[in-house]
Amino acid sequence: MPGVLCPTRGGEASYPNQDRAIQIARERGSEILFLYVTDVRFLGRIASPMIVDVEEEINEMGEFLLAMAGERADKVGVVSRSLVLRGAFQDALVEAIHGNDVNVVVLGSPGGETGITTTDYLHQLIAMMVDELAVEVYVVDRGEVLEHFGPRGIEPA
Amino acid sequence: MIDLPSRLTAIQGVRLRLKGAPSRSRSRVRKDGPLGEVWLTSIVRRTGRRASQTLGVAGLLLALLALIPPFTRSSAGAPASHYTISGRLEDPQRRRVAGANVTALSPGSSVVLAEAESQDDGSWVLVLEQDPLPGTVIQATRHHFDTFELTLDSNQAEALRSSGALDLGVIPLVRRITPAFWAAAIIFIAVLVVIALERLHSTTAALAGMSAVFLVTFIGGIFNPDLYIFNFRRAKTYINWEVIFLVMGMMIIIAIIEGTGIFQWTAFQAYRASRGRAWLLGLILMGVTGLASALLDNFTTMLLMTPISLQIALAIGINPLAFIIPEVLASNIAGISTLIGTPTNILIGAFADISFSDFLVNQTAGVLLAMIVAGGFVLYFYRREWSKQSGGISSRLYERMKENARLEDPKALWKSACVFVLVLVGFVMGERIHIVPAVPALVGATVLLVWLNPDVQKMIKAVDWTTLVFFIAIFIVIGAVQEVGLVSLIAGAASRLIGDNLVLGIFAILFGVGTLSVAIANIPLTASMLPIVEYLSGSVPGANSKVLYYALSMGAAMGGNGFLIGGEANIVTAGISEQAGTPISFGEFLKIGLPVTYLTMTVGFLWLLVRFVLLAH
Repeated sequence: MPGVLCPTRGGEASYPNQDRAIQIARERGSEILFLYVTDVRFLGRIASPMIVDVEEEINEMGEFLLAMAGERADKVGVVSRSLVLRGAFQDALVEAIHGNDVNVVVLGSPGGETGITTTDYLHQLIAMMVDELAVEVYVVDRGEVLEHFGPRGIEPA
Repeated sequence: MIDLPSRLTAIQGVRLRLKGAPSRSRSRVRKDGPLGEVWLTSIVRRTGRRASQTLGVAGLLLALLALIPPFTRSSAGAPASHYTISGRLEDPQRRRVAGANVTALSPGSSVVLAEAESQDDGSWVLVLEQDPLPGTVIQATRHHFDTFELTLDSNQAEALRSSGALDLGVIPLVRRITPAFWAAAIIFIAVLVVIALERLHSTTAALAGMSAVFLVTFIGGIFNPDLYIFNFRRAKTYINWEVIFLVMGMMIIIAIIEGTGIFQWTAFQAYRASRGRAWLLGLILMGVTGLASALLDNFTTMLLMTPISLQIALAIGINPLAFIIPEVLASNIAGISTLIGTPTNILIGAFADISFSDFLVNQTAGVLLAMIVAGGFVLYFYRREWSKQSGGISSRLYERMKENARLEDPKALWKSACVFVLVLVGFVMGERIHIVPAVPALVGATVLLVWLNPDVQKMIKAVDWTTLVFFIAIFIVIGAVQEVGLVSLIAGAASRLIGDNLVLGIFAILFGVGTLSVAIANIPLTASMLPIVEYLSGSVPGANSKVLYYALSMGAAMGGNGFLIGGEANIVTAGISEQAGTPISFGEFLKIGLPVTYLTMTVGFLWLLVRFVLLAH
């Protein structure tokens, strides 16, 4: 069954976007896949001794945050799965789409508190997903759909 | 064939150069006559017995006896066959000057009569093998200083001739501002700026600075000798290997302990103990973080505490920042209560010979007071969040959190706790028998590796070589600015500002460094400040108690709480928090961090006043 992919960082500000993704999955009768991407590049400029496997710690945190998102889906009867990947966001997104029969992606807007990056980057990412991976993309902010991109181009929200 | 007195003089010269202690050296010179006599007498006696048996040996005895008269004359009050001139070189800030070339030149010509190099304590000894004449020139030359010349007058020459030794006392060398001064200063400032602006990884920045120093010396020096900063041999002397080995040993110990999951388990137990009361949970987490930071290190503590604290906060519906910002504040404050709590304390301890017990006795109480004040402020600041009674969490989330916070290997935890306690005991006991802290740390790390038999490859990887390389490189960059006199210049200015006022000195160091470390990485800042504080500790009355080093420790660590970028524990906490969709904004951190910084620095200042000024009287 083709599913809805919702990349999330799991913080409080991303709850409305998670809820919207769950709603989209419910309307389509799809299951939802929550994706958490562990990116530890911020550690690159630290001089202090880094003797802990930080990536592993963040992975565990990601799994927990996705479990919280899964509980929200369970409450409204949507089947959910979770996936934690490491590395750059775009690479992880492509990997998740390829490996999990995804046909809809719900992304947080950069303007929103949970946005991942700049608007330019987001549009470049969306173009790649729509053109090369043939998936639908929703851009949401605080639970509201701002933009909807289908395989045939931009459609009104 | 070398004659015996010459041989003795040569041996003596070697000893003098190796030891470099003028007082001892002079006493040896005086004793050499009688000692040589005893030695020869002993040979004569032993050889005499053999001479009675063989003519050949008798011939040798005669030859040896023939050598005795000139030596005996020397010890009988006649003019000595060699003369020593000694002294001590200091810079304008009364810091010893090592590595200077000291020569004695014959009067009216440039014939070198004797040559020596000043030792680590600035002392030097010249051994003249001919009668000293008035007009003999003593010359001291060294890069970054004006050449010093002293011409012996007739009284000095006579004194030297009659007693065999002349001590010129302390000779102040005058600093010379050369192009090397500006080159080293620019490199040093550039490294600090690049680290502060995060243009490069701090290790890369320090390595680039170190390479620039050598390039200026060896390439620039070809075109302009005044660009010479120091050679490789001299550069190596600025590396504090005690710091490197202590950090390395502690890294292995911490890597083993952190692998047991004790941090996460403790945080989860704090959650259970609080029974949903956010204020209690927040205070317990602050306390746990503070204790762990004091015993291990604050950066690692925050790496481990932040993810589990975020999970707890999000699960119970409390703003995570109400937990993790107080935690990071506590980690920065409490880390300085022990020698091993922060890299800056390790630096200070190794440089100023401040032991584990010294930190406990002189700093811990002040840090505890600062923690109480910080806790009170945080309680007030987050009163709305902390007054919440959290809702329960689902059994599924509870179980997952419990799983994330499980003890990975209780047996390994027990063993590593035993070894860790022994290492702490080693720190305390070692001071009494002059064992530096690096030794118990390395022994403890080795015992753990043998006892627990973990994957050695993994453990060696746990040693953060990037950090160790950073330390080595930054030591050399800072050594360069010490070498060219920038540090002395700053120290002199600071000394003029502070004068004889110890209270002002404590205040200036604590609040000055604290304010600077709000924006500048505290490890390079502390390393740069150490020679300045050393000078002030020698010049300000009462500062020999090392109080200024404690002020430096407090300032460097507490100042890190001011800005989000003020400390690496803050940066890593912010990074992990952002990974959980809970970014910490600069302004949000500032609102609580800055007041806590100045409140805790004030408490620290008052504590140092009580401990070192009031109680000292």
